[in-house]
Amino acid sequence: MRKILFLSLFLLSGLLQEVMAQNRAITGRVTDAANNEGLPGVTVLVKGTQVGTATDATGNYSINVPEGGTTLVFSFVGYTTTERAIGNATTLNISLGTDARQLNEVVVTALGVERTRNSLPYAATQVEGADITKARNPNFINSLSGKVAGVNIKQNNTLGGSTNVVIRGTKSLYGNNQALFVVDGVPISNANTNTSDQYTGRGGYDYGNVGADVNPDDIASVSVLKGAAATALYGSRAANGVIMITTKKGRKGAVNVTLNTGATMGFADKSTFLKYQDQYGAGYGQYYGPDPENDPKYFNERDMNGDGVVDLVVPFTEDASYGAAFDPSLMVYQWNSLDPTSPFYRQARPWVAAENDPSYFLKNAAGFNNNITIDGGNENGTFKLGYTNTHDTGILPNSEINKNMVNFAGSLNLTPKLTTSASINFTKNDGLGRYGTGYDSWNPMQQFRQWFQTNVDIKEQEDAYFRNRQNITWNPRSATNLAPIYSDNPYWVRYENYENDERYHYFGNIMATYKFTDWFDIMGRVTLDSYDELQEERNAIGSTGTAFYSRFNRTAREANYDLIANFNKNITEDFTFRGLVGSNFRRHQINSIFAQTNGGLVVPRIYSLSNSVNNLNPPTEVDQRYGVDGYFASATFGFKEMVFLDITGRRDKSSTLPTGNNVYYYPSVATGFVFSELLKDTPWLSYGKARLNYAEVGNDAPVYSIFNVYGKQDQEINSSTRPTVGGFGSIPLNSLPNTRNNPNLKPERTKSFEGGIEMAFMDSRFGFDATYYKSISVDQIIPIQVSTTSGYGYTYVNSGEVENKGFEVTAFVTPVKTDNFSWTLNANWTRNRNKVLSLAEGTENLVLSTYQGGVSSNATVGQPFGTIRGASFRRYNNNGEKLIDSDPESARYGLYQMGPSTTVIADPNPDWVGGLSNTISYKGVSLYFLVDVRQGGQLFNLDTYYGFGTGLYPETAGLNDLGNPSRNPVVENADGTYAATSGGVIFSGVKADGTPNDIRVANTEGIYGYGQPQQMNVFDASFVKLREASLTYSLPASLITRIKPIKGIDLSFTGRNLWIIKKHVPYADPEDNLGTGGNGNYGMGYMSGSYPTTRNIGFNLRFRF
Amino acid sequence: MKRILLFCIPALVFVTSCKSLDDYDNVNPKAATTVPGVSLVSNAQRVLVNTINTPDYNINPFRFYVQYWAATTYPDESQFVIETRSINRFFWDPLYRDVLSDLNEGKKVITADPLTTISDPVTKEKVRNNQLAAVEVLEVYTWSVLVNTFGDIPYTEALDPENVLPVFDDDAAIYNDLVVRLDKAIGMFDPTAAGLGTGDLYYNGNVASWVKFANSLKLRLGITLADVDAAKAKTMVEAAAPKAFTSNADNAKLTYLTALPNRNQLYESLVQSGRTDFVGASTLIDQLVVTNDPRLNEYFKPVGTTSTYKGGAAGSPNSYDNYSAPGAMLESPTLPGMLLTYSEVEFILAEAVERGFAVGGTAMEHYNKGVTASIMEWGGTEAEATTYLAQSTMAYITASGTYKQKIGNQKWIALYGQPTQAWTEWRRLDAPNLVKPAAAISAIPLRLPYPTTEANLNVTNYKAAAAAIGGDVVTTKIFWDKL
Repeated sequence: MRKILFLSLFLLSGLLQEVMAQNRAITGRVTDAANNEGLPGVTVLVKGTQVGTATDATGNYSINVPEGGTTLVFSFVGYTTTERAIGNATTLNISLGTDARQLNEVVVTALGVERTRNSLPYAATQVEGADITKARNPNFINSLSGKVAGVNIKQNNTLGGSTNVVIRGTKSLYGNNQALFVVDGVPISNANTNTSDQYTGRGGYDYGNVGADVNPDDIASVSVLKGAAATALYGSRAANGVIMITTKKGRKGAVNVTLNTGATMGFADKSTFLKYQDQYGAGYGQYYGPDPENDPKYFNERDMNGDGVVDLVVPFTEDASYGAAFDPSLMVYQWNSLDPTSPFYRQARPWVAAENDPSYFLKNAAGFNNNITIDGGNENGTFKLGYTNTHDTGILPNSEINKNMVNFAGSLNLTPKLTTSASINFTKNDGLGRYGTGYDSWNPMQQFRQWFQTNVDIKEQEDAYFRNRQNITWNPRSATNLAPIYSDNPYWVRYENYENDERYHYFGNIMATYKFTDWFDIMGRVTLDSYDELQEERNAIGSTGTAFYSRFNRTAREANYDLIANFNKNITEDFTFRGLVGSNFRRHQINSIFAQTNGGLVVPRIYSLSNSVNNLNPPTEVDQRYGVDGYFASATFGFKEMVFLDITGRRDKSSTLPTGNNVYYYPSVATGFVFSELLKDTPWLSYGKARLNYAEVGNDAPVYSIFNVYGKQDQEINSSTRPTVGGFGSIPLNSLPNTRNNPNLKPERTKSFEGGIEMAFMDSRFGFDATYYKSISVDQIIPIQVSTTSGYGYTYVNSGEVENKGFEVTAFVTPVKTDNFSWTLNANWTRNRNKVLSLAEGTENLVLSTYQGGVSSNATVGQPFGTIRGASFRRYNNNGEKLIDSDPESARYGLYQMGPSTTVIADPNPDWVGGLSNTISYKGVSLYFLVDVRQGGQLFNLDTYYGFGTGLYPETAGLNDLGNPSRNPVVENADGTYAATSGGVIFSGVKADGTPNDIRVANTEGIYGYGQPQQMNVFDASFVKLREASLTYSLPASLITRIKPIKGIDLSFTGRNLWIIKKHVPYADPEDNLGTGGNGNYGMGYMSGSYPTTRNIGFNLRFRF
Repeated sequence: MKRILLFCIPALVFVTSCKSLDDYDNVNPKAATTVPGVSLVSNAQRVLVNTINTPDYNINPFRFYVQYWAATTYPDESQFVIETRSINRFFWDPLYRDVLSDLNEGKKVITADPLTTISDPVTKEKVRNNQLAAVEVLEVYTWSVLVNTFGDIPYTEALDPENVLPVFDDDAAIYNDLVVRLDKAIGMFDPTAAGLGTGDLYYNGNVASWVKFANSLKLRLGITLADVDAAKAKTMVEAAAPKAFTSNADNAKLTYLTALPNRNQLYESLVQSGRTDFVGASTLIDQLVVTNDPRLNEYFKPVGTTSTYKGGAAGSPNSYDNYSAPGAMLESPTLPGMLLTYSEVEFILAEAVERGFAVGGTAMEHYNKGVTASIMEWGGTEAEATTYLAQSTMAYITASGTYKQKIGNQKWIALYGQPTQAWTEWRRLDAPNLVKPAAAISAIPLRLPYPTTEANLNVTNYKAAAAAIGGDVVTTKIFWDKL
């Protein structure tokens, strides 16, 4: 941002130069302490005089110091004003450090209006580009995590997966909650095309969010506009806050070349992957053998090698590890004894735990990043050209994401009054082998974490696949049929059933500004955001399920046509005015087609629609066109740089609403009071401002939700159980749609109030910014679930209110600051309280989605959004100890009593989130690290619900309270007491009469997982993470000058997700619950098929020429 | 307009158009706003058969309940766990939301259809009546399935999108109304005119077949009422008996296609899914083996590569390899899905004779015809049937038990392809004697509990209904289940 200012400062410096006297000449260079780059536009003043100049584009200056001048003062917005004694020097080089408080920093606000932080009457946080790229995250959105109060960034552990940005809480129950992304005035899509199956954990790939196509190296700054008052000018799309991205601009002067190259290595964090018990192998229990009814055994029996002797055969159809205890002296036939190509074909092997458990499957990830930026310009214009390539491979075999990004921006002053500019960004994003998610066979974590045999050696699975590239699984159907029964060979899944995708994304704008006078100009702008994507998925012949190939082609375009008149005129010297009037026409078009083979594939490994066994079912087509016309105006009044008043209004007319009922108004009013202006003689108070504002903004109705049409069988919300059916052969089939539209819909409205105070003390060595906000979102557009007895499953209504209120606090302190050494701490803390105030009349609860494992996500009146319901424990006297079923006749004897299946068992909303960053600089070395904290919130873990049930984890084996293996049989004495040698476990709780439980149950399948109330597998999702760290070293200028033409070299070591300092979810990353994708309201608090965290470490080299 | 044009000019650069907002009609261009009424009926026909006969344990667990099949690895559903996978909801929803709702909509469209291809106004009304009567028969069939499964259900106030909180009606009262509606529909048919045409997935528009189907359904409803309202049952059965099915050719069925997604649901579960979730239950297999039932090798496969048949334990996990899997005939994608068969008609008549209804013939004659029809329906021959019935344990006169046990037992075997109806007949006739599996969490359900969605979405009416039927539990009996 500061670079934009330099133009105006140039003008200023011209004025200054006119008045300077001719005396002693001093020259020098002003550089940025952070990176040793020359700082253009820095004001250099001789202290106590009007004599001054400004640095040129490379940071050099030359000044003639009049007689008596002893000190130079260097000042620049955003940097600490520094004084230097001249002495006898003729050369004075200086580096400026950034001003920690940056109160006069220029912040980009709605519609790209730049304002000083000082004058803002609402909360806005700006993050500099340098902070975004510090840890070299390929998705810049993830780099905001822990840095901005009020913003909840949810990311997951898949390669290239999507990230949710929800600002100040979930407001819309069913509509979009993701922040609006704007790049240099271009609203860009942050959509993702993940299916509802994906974000509700049923399975599918996470294709990431489109917003990740912004090049992190091209970002100059990111402003986060949080409250409605800050975003009100965006009207009906403003409810969720705005992420304003300003890209770097070309600089005037000599051509600059910056070259950046980096590499990262990633390692799976072992604390987020499971450990396996190593005492028992395959099976659900003692259910097998030739006569399971009368003589059940742990193994099947069959003559496997043709010698006429019956052999012991592992029950390899069973995807659990509640089988026989390992015993190396026992020789058994495993899955690979069936495979003629295996070295173990027809061989019995000792019954032992696998040497290589599934952690062997995880590889080291790698990332490479190369960027070149060239910029320059002259009096008539500037240009900038950048190219970035990133290549990342993940921790799963055969996974990679490639990105190529090119951007060009140029400006040209056609006449002194007419300025034109254009920018274009092009990104090509290629994915191969993204990780399958949720509960399906494409996610290897499903078998590894939920349904597995601890005797299976993954390296042997690897060998089995690579020998012939066949699906030789540990889980074959029978001794004579090697086809998989439930689980494929995980290598087969990765190398045969992979997806691939590509996205060509273009966004940019053309803009012209005509300056009529120095206080009035008109700007016209056309912006376009457009992308085309292709996603191809496959299930090879020989896999579980029907072989298929599917392709999804999608094109999305958003165009905006803006005309804005700007006024900037001071009414008196003390009374300033700034205003704008404008219009915005927005047009959207989304087209997609999804087609899939039918009934299998004919030729193996040919993935085309024509390779379908049966004729194709009709592809699913989407054609959405809609638009909004907006007119808006805003006025900002300032009084003595002390009191500010903002008033804005916007009128929107939307094509998605019924004619005659489609015009809506969105007002805002905001005031700021810089009270420190009244306390100028209070030396300890550097700055103080109070803010107060109120606004109403909206959230549009979804397209095509007004008029009823017939459907082919449509997708049930959150479920794929109703596939599209074209016809019965040649006979057409039609159906009423599942969701009934509503011709009376209106937009959702969010009414928001915010108050805040900003203060800085002791020369801005420390300070804080605290905000309280409260918003109520009303007229929620809800496809409310209705009794299907009405003929529909859902019907759209405008009803319901959601309240969000909370505190945001950011604080900074610079405990140490000397010329060579500084230490700065930045902290932010957010506490949001969300509550559903009402739903539709007569409705107390809305099921947002149902999940595998018998739990659901809900909006309940009086509760926070997204509570997880499932079976709870029953408790003695309703709130005492957990009750154990003590009825000997009961099938659940000795287990926890099941409470009602619709009890709230988890609230996924955190109590608070926060971040703490440290920057320690010594000369050219800078150490930075960021600790990211989430406190509170819970999740239901399907991985342990099933995996504890199937006996994979160490918790399910081992010794019981008597010191015996808990999986040994329960042995009762004649008097009903238990023998000292007994196995079995006693769950802690009380019996029906309130006495402590003493019922010993056999440790069998299910008792730690799916055999118990779901509440038993609810965990606290809190975490403390060392999110980012970097160590940067700028080679001293003295060294650099020798290696011309290089102007600077920075070397940094970076790390991401280095250490989960504290967590409560066993064997997994608590952040990796679904919760991403869709419109930001699904999957919270539900974990299924979770991936381990990838720890990334890397280095980065930057050359400036 | 001018203003919009002005801004569109630079837009040409991006090859995009800036249409006026007034040009957006906000109607999905990919969806139909008008459809033929018959296409809605066709969809209902398809979903109805799929739902009542599918082996998908997420929708239809009744093969477990009547112990035709046992589970392999995951026995929960065979132990009567219902809520975890919302089975009751996935049975309820398609019947209301797809079958009844589409039939209801189809009726509206057909009523308003000008039938422009028919010129004669009299014929036009006959065709319309034939179409509406067929829809009515399908609705009666579907409502009866819902009542038989849940008891009191929303009926008079159902299918009204403006009323999302319909009251639940008394199950007996619904049955009474269904009988009235069915009689009215029977009266509306005129076999001299066309019906639903090729969109009729059951009878390809043959109205005479619909008359037989309607009367056979009337027989079924009548005999269902026999224990609670013998007089009414007698009137209905006697009236319908001469007009019901007379051979397997009359069976009401959906003949599936070879291509997805219109294959028999059995094929989808047993073959296409690649899973091995089911084996035959010993309850059925033991009986078929002992009685040399010719249907055995159609209903089930031998164990592994052997030639022996062996059933798994109902309600327990079973190793797929050790037991007989469902038979090869069930693995045909085009195996028809049945709604009502001739063999059932004959069993009803046999029972009617025993109950003293004047339907002609003896109980034994009807019993023999029922068994024979079933054996032939499953690919057997008349000779096989004769041999089978010649066994003293199978012959109607010498077989042990009451008439209910004898007929109930054969009906149970014959309804192998219709698990929903089999479960109803087992509850009504209390035969065969099925024993609750040891690991089951309840007795064998006598009804399904209402879906949780109803309890959540229609709270007051749900509570009233639960109280009215004597508790929303699996042990509450449907009104006709008196004994």
